[in-house]
Amino acid sequence: MNLILEKQALQDLLQSWRQNYDVYLPQKLERFSHFMPLTETSVLVTDEPHNTRIPPKSLFLPMTEALVKFTRYGGYEDARHEIQPRIVFGIRPCDAQAVQLLDTSFIQDEYTDPLWLERREKTITIGLGCHEPCLNGFCTTVGYGPFNKADLDAILTDMGDVYLVETFSQAGDACFQGLPVAAEETYQEALAVQHSAHDQMPVAFETENLKEKLEQNFKNNYWDEVSQSCLGCGVCTFLCPTCFCFDIVDETQRRERVRNWDSCMFRTYSLEASGHNPRPSRVERTRQRISHKFVYWLDQVNQIGCTGCGRCVRYCPVGLDIRSMLRQAHSLPFEVSHAI
Amino acid sequence: MPDLNAIRTEAKRLLAEGVVDVVVAFKAGETPLHPQPAFFRSADEVDQLVYDGLCQNNLATFLTRVPKQSKVGMVVRGCENRSVNALVVEKQKNRADLFLIGVPCEGILDWQKIVGEVGETVKSVKENGQNLMIETKAGYQLLERHDFLHESCKRCIHPNPMSADILIGEALQEGDPNLARTAVETFEDQTIEDRYAWFQKEAERCIRCYACRQACPMCYCEECFVDHIEPRWSESGATPAGMQGWHIVRAFHQTGRCTSCGACERACPMDIKMTYLTEKLNHDMREKYNFEPGLDAQTQPPFAAVTLDDKNRFSV
Ligand code: SF4
Ligand code: SF4
Ligand code: SF4
Ligand code: SF4
Repeated sequence: MNLILEKQALQDLLQSWRQNYDVYLPQKLERFSHFMPLTETSVLVTDEPHNTRIPPKSLFLPMTEALVKFTRYGGYEDARHEIQPRIVFGIRPCDAQAVQLLDTSFIQDEYTDPLWLERREKTITIGLGCHEPCLNGFCTTVGYGPFNKADLDAILTDMGDVYLVETFSQAGDACFQGLPVAAEETYQEALAVQHSAHDQMPVAFETENLKEKLEQNFKNNYWDEVSQSCLGCGVCTFLCPTCFCFDIVDETQRRERVRNWDSCMFRTYSLEASGHNPRPSRVERTRQRISHKFVYWLDQVNQIGCTGCGRCVRYCPVGLDIRSMLRQAHSLPFEVSHAI
Repeated sequence: MPDLNAIRTEAKRLLAEGVVDVVVAFKAGETPLHPQPAFFRSADEVDQLVYDGLCQNNLATFLTRVPKQSKVGMVVRGCENRSVNALVVEKQKNRADLFLIGVPCEGILDWQKIVGEVGETVKSVKENGQNLMIETKAGYQLLERHDFLHESCKRCIHPNPMSADILIGEALQEGDPNLARTAVETFEDQTIEDRYAWFQKEAERCIRCYACRQACPMCYCEECFVDHIEPRWSESGATPAGMQGWHIVRAFHQTGRCTSCGACERACPMDIKMTYLTEKLNHDMREKYNFEPGLDAQTQPPFAAVTLDDKNRFSV
C-alpha cells in the first residue's frame, strides 16, 4: 500500500506504537546518532547526512550478552531475557539489507541461532530511504541502493512536508493503518525522488570479476600494500552491519557464559591454543576482511557481503578506504574461470 | 604550515642517499579530510607525501611495526618526537637507526568538527595561519583554525619536535603549561559523584574495539592485558565492569609514558574522552616527579626506573 504521512503527525504515530511495542529509533548520542528506545521525550534524528554510527545489527546481535548462567553443583540455567515485540524505525536500506544477509548465517535448517531468530521474528523494521545519499556510502555499486526494500515491512520517502509510506507486509500495514492512500501522482513523484537518489551515487569501483581477481591474487603483494597502515583495531568490523563474528567466553566470576562481538582484525581472533596463528599479521587479516565480503559471501549465498553503508570508510582511524582498496584491486591480473 | 616541498626534498634525499630504508609520513586519502599514514621506500614515491593539519595519527605508533633492524625516517611533530624518544628509552628502537624530519605543529584539526560546521561535501581544506578556507559544494567558507582543533592540541605544551635531526620551518612558541594544569584541576574540582558519573558516561559507551590502544605508540605489548586468558585480568564483554576496567588500566599503563598526543581519542569511533585520565597521570608526573615523557631519549620514567639502592623496594 502507498500512504501519505504528514511529517508533523509522525511523533504521535511513533508514540502510539509504544502501547504494544518497544520502539527503537536513531537519537542523538554525543556527536552521532544511535538506535535507542523511544521514550516520551525522545527526539528522532532523521536529518543526519549519514548513517547511525553503530549499525542496527546490535539490536539483533548485541555487543555482549549472557547465554547461560551457571548454578552451584555443576548446573546451569538459561540466561536469556524475553524479547518484547519491537519496531525498529528509521533503519536505512543498507542496514536492513545487512540484516537480511545475516539471516543466511544465523537461520539455517540445522543451525539456527534461537536468539537471533526470536529477535527477528519479534521485530518490525520500518525503513527510511536516503533521498540525499551519503557521500561515504556506495550501496548502488554493490548492487543495492538508497531505496532498497529488502527486509523492510515499510519504507518512507521524504517528500518535504510529507512522507510517502510504502508498506510491504501485514505488519507494515498495521503500523500505518488509517493513513490516507497516496494519489498515483504523488506516488510517481516519490519514485522520481527515489530514482534521482539512486542516480546521484557514483560507481565507487568495478565489481565485474572482482571476486576472481581477489581470489586469484591471494598471494599478491597487493595485500601488503593495502594493509600497511592498518592499525588492527575493531572499528571497521564492529561498525560494519554485515560483520557478525562473535566469541564465546566463560566469565567465571560472574558465573556466566557470554557472547561478545569479535573481529577478524584482532590478533587474538585466529590465535590457536598452541600459540600458532594462521593469520599472523595485518596482511592476512585485511585479506580475510575484504575477501569475506567480496569472495566468500558470494561463494556461500551469491551476494556481496558488503551493503555499501560507508561506515568503515568514514571511521577508519587511518583513513583506509575500502573503495580505493577495491579500485586498486581492479588492476590485479586474473583469468576468467570457465566453471559451469 | 611547514613547506611541503622542503619535507619532500629531505625525504627524497634520505631515500636516495640510503640514509633510511623507509620514510613514514602521510599521503593524501580518498577525501581531503582523511590523509593516510604512508610508507615511502623510494625517492620517486615521495611526490605523494603530504602534510597538513588533518593528519591525525601519531606516526610513532608504526615504529614498533617495521622490522627492528630497518633504518626509519619519520616526519614528526612535537608529540610524535616525544613518543619516538619514549620508545627509544624503552629500547624499542635504536636512535641511531632513526632520522627524524621535524615539523613544528600548529595543532591537529578535528574533521568531525569541520563537517559539523560546513557539511559533508568538503572538497578542499586550505590552512593559512590562523584561518581555514574550506571549499564545499556550496562554495567557500572561512573558519578560525583554533576553533577546530582537537582538545589535546589546544592544551599542548611542546608543539616543536625537540630532538629532530632536521627542523623544517620556524619553531613555534611553546604552549602554556597552565592550560594542561587547568584542564586537570577543573576536573578535580568536581564532586566525587560528578567525576564518577562522567567516568561512567564515557567508559560505558565503549565498544571495546581497541582503536585507542592500536593508535597509541606506547601500546605495543605483544599481548595486552585484556587479551590475556589465563589468568583473566579483565572481564571480556562490553559490560560496565569490563569497560571501566579497560579504561582505568589502559590509562594506568601509560603512567610516565603518555606524551599527550591525543591519538587515542581521535581514533575512538564512539567519541569517548579518555585523555582526562592520562592527563591526570601526566600532571602528577610533572608535579611530583618533575618528569615529562619523551623530553629526551635517555631518562627512564620514574615508575620504570629501578636502582639497587631504591629505598622503597618493590615487593609483590
Ligand atoms: S578500521 Fe582501519 S585501522 Fe582499524 S582495522 Fe579497519 S582498516 Fe585497520
Ligand atoms: S564493509 Fe564497510 S561499507 Fe561495506 S557494509 Fe561493512 S562497514 Fe559498510
Ligand atoms: S595514551 Fe593517548 S595521548 Fe597518551 S600517548 Fe597514547 S595515544 Fe597519545
Ligand atoms: S577506541 Fe573507544 S570504543 Fe574503542 S576500545 Fe577505545 S575507548 Fe572503547
